[in-house]
Amino acid sequence: MGWIESVDQTNADLAGQADQAANELSARPNLTDVFLAERERLKRIVAGMGLSASDGEDALQDVSIQALQRRDVFADKAESVRWLIKVTVNRCPMEHRRRRSFQRHAGEILRRRQEIGTQSDRIDVKAIAAEELEIVRETLQELDGSLLALLVLRYFCDLNSTEIGKVLDLNQSTVRSRLREARMILAGQLMQRGIEP
Amino acid sequence: MTEMSCREIEQMLLDYADGQLSPERSSEVAEHLAGCRRCSDALKALQRSLELVQVVWEDGWADAQAIHISKQVKTRGIPRWAYATAAAVLAVAACWAFWHYLNRPAPQPLTVAEIERRVADEGMAARLLAATELLAGKPYAKELVKSQYNYIVERYPSTEAAATAKTRIR
Repeated sequence: MGWIESVDQTNADLAGQADQAANELSARPNLTDVFLAERERLKRIVAGMGLSASDGEDALQDVSIQALQRRDVFADKAESVRWLIKVTVNRCPMEHRRRRSFQRHAGEILRRRQEIGTQSDRIDVKAIAAEELEIVRETLQELDGSLLALLVLRYFCDLNSTEIGKVLDLNQSTVRSRLREARMILAGQLMQRGIEP
Repeated sequence: MTEMSCREIEQMLLDYADGQLSPERSSEVAEHLAGCRRCSDALKALQRSLELVQVVWEDGWADAQAIHISKQVKTRGIPRWAYATAAAVLAVAACWAFWHYLNRPAPQPLTVAEIERRVADEGMAARLLAATELLAGKPYAKELVKSQYNYIVERYPSTEAAATAKTRIR
């Protein structure tokens, strides 16, 4: 009877290992599901990076294809989300007509703002002077892509420095110093060109 | 205030504006700002420029609402060789498109910008077509493939890829 018990035990062990493997596999997030769940955030990134709607759509189509390829690769959802954000950020500068939405002049932005009512609670802009908006728009247009990405993730997608560091493989102090550099460039342009803050 | 202390404050100004400083540090910065016009102007410029950046971003965000993402994205992994094939197809298509537009007799002289735009469209359409073709044989990707073909036809109607996509739809 001893060997029968031994076989039963082996079978039970194998069944347990199979269950564990199946559970681990089913616990892995489906990247395409995560992509769909995160699409608003990804749209926000492409908008923040200055892509027009059509360019942004092309970029996100590409990201979705990459997500299909890497389905079931990541161990948890947070890791999947970080990967999607990173791929989207890296994809944006590849656009041929990059930052096309930043080419819209300040006057047009202000007119559209009135027409389609894009005001939000987070912006307290009582009176926007077209001249200073134009300076900031031009600076954004010319800003280095890596600095722009940091600005977008921090101030448009509300990620903190630690999260940004994980996404872009940077340490927190580097994130902070580059964010400072980007913000100082923007502020400096406003000050240098004679606009009273 | 000394120049040095202004430099030190400048290093902390962003953290101050973002509310990232400790209460003690924050008090020190506030005290400096009360007596230093240069640094307080810099703080105002930091805050104002971010407000204006948000205005530009929100303008783009209004456009981004129109971005359509298919909810049919469901399939299994795609082998690496298929991506290599797609890349090769893309490269050939891009070369062909470039050659075609350089050698094509045009009724009116094309500008360099127009050629560049058309080449970019041909390249992007070919790229999307190649990616779609990879999924075309998969039964679980049927809806996605259909929507991708339609997208190529609508977005890049005058390209070779759109012509191919039309035949695939038919």
